[in-house]
Amino acid sequence: MAAILTLESLSLAQGNRLVLEDLSGEFEAGSITALVGPNGAGKSTLVQGIMGVLRPLRGRVLCQVPHARRAWLPQQLALDLSFPMSVEELVMSGCWPTHGSFRRYGPAEYRRGQAVMQRLGLQALEHRPLGELSGGQRQRALLGRTLMQEARLLLLDEPFANVDAATVELLIQTLRDMAAEGVSVIIVLHDHDQLRRLADRVLHLDRGHGHWYTPQSMTWAPSGQPMTATATTQGPTS
Amino acid sequence: MIDWLISPLLDFGFMRRALVAGLALSLVAPPLGVFLTLRGMSLVGDAMAHAVLPGVAVGFLLAGFSLPAMSLGGLAAGLLVAGLAGSVSRLTGHREDSAIASFYLISLAAGVMLISLRGSSVDLTHVLFGSILAVDTTALWLIVGVSSVTLVVLAAIFRILVVECLDPLFLRGQGIRGGAVHGLFLGLMVLNLTAGFQTLGTLMAVGLMMLPATAARFWSTRLEGLMGLAIAIGMLSSVGGLLLSYHAGLPSGPCIILLAGAIYLLSALFGRYHSVFARWRRRVQPILPPDAHG
Repeated sequence: MAAILTLESLSLAQGNRLVLEDLSGEFEAGSITALVGPNGAGKSTLVQGIMGVLRPLRGRVLCQVPHARRAWLPQQLALDLSFPMSVEELVMSGCWPTHGSFRRYGPAEYRRGQAVMQRLGLQALEHRPLGELSGGQRQRALLGRTLMQEARLLLLDEPFANVDAATVELLIQTLRDMAAEGVSVIIVLHDHDQLRRLADRVLHLDRGHGHWYTPQSMTWAPSGQPMTATATTQGPTS
Repeated sequence: MIDWLISPLLDFGFMRRALVAGLALSLVAPPLGVFLTLRGMSLVGDAMAHAVLPGVAVGFLLAGFSLPAMSLGGLAAGLLVAGLAGSVSRLTGHREDSAIASFYLISLAAGVMLISLRGSSVDLTHVLFGSILAVDTTALWLIVGVSSVTLVVLAAIFRILVVECLDPLFLRGQGIRGGAVHGLFLGLMVLNLTAGFQTLGTLMAVGLMMLPATAARFWSTRLEGLMGLAIAIGMLSSVGGLLLSYHAGLPSGPCIILLAGAIYLLSALFGRYHSVFARWRRRVQPILPPDAHG
């Protein structure tokens, strides 16, 4: 499989502080990569760099996926959920790449929206305002938007925080299905049980440097932090 | 009664023009207000209304009581303050609202100073509080033009504004620059404040924007409901305020805004959501046994 995202000796800085140094690697279509590391290790910074929000200090991000098909699921706290918008309206806003600000959604889009909500178990909540949803329901609605967007590169920042167990199962299943359809998923995770079930590969960020693992080759400290294992020095196993 | 309601609006040219002006403003200013409240910028509208004043004053000094000159001046001053505030906040990293607050105070003082240099206090009263007599045909064209432009632009950026309020990063990922949309939105707001000052006065033009929007929040939790209700409240206040102003011989601006204010207060007391009454009613509910209905 071809790499759809390549990092070439990437260095990223937040203001004057160097956060990531000389990170290289490739992300393939249909792969799920877990991004792990302690708080402040640069996980969110890397996500910003990949989305093109933060310009690299050195090195390059080469992405085959156009901006319109890159989706970013931020942490829930980053969103203003008091906004008067229904689940359906949020899901339908994923039509942005094809419809922009002005084009009217046609019956085909509404049918697709219905199918997406069905897939995520949201059909009964269709007209519910976002402010009245539980954490798990919101996360499903947000994932619905990325499905609607037909994203080919999906970045998620701790999507399982504040989410009930049943929804975690549904989200894991949906993400696996998306990967099987060729979507490349990059997911910030802390729980190593979820990581084992979901990820094909692991990128461990620590003190500004990245180390690549397979989920099997990782060993975990009792604290839940990954310990050094036999890292594959260069990105993918291709 | 019908005579009291209808005949002033039909019999006098200036009332007809003021009515059309009021309805045109009520069609676009309240939706802008709804977005201002949703974006947490309720007081920014107020600050911008003050910022418009020196431009109006310069127009007044140069061309006398000429509405096009005063409107153009007001528009320039409003856009200048919005632009300066935006640049200062971007260059210094300070929050934009503190920059807007600083610039509008400078602007307001400059405006009052300029007006006092020339002109009597009657002129100042006109500029500050508006006058239905001021709406001549030129002014009417100006107001209707501004409303039409605002309506079209608002329709074009509506989805962007909605999506951006909820999740700015989504649009950034899609390659839409939030700053440009924000600037366009502030521009629309200034445009409407300038259009509103002839009937309402510079200081109260923002009232027709904010009061219907804040009142509507007590009646609806849906965006289209908020917009529709805010427009209806705005139109009701405009028509009612004009009639009140005509019959009681009061300035039109305060009449319209006080009427909108009364609707806001009633909504806050008796509205369907989050009002005092709704909260009071909700507080007694838990006392009922959970299976009271059988």
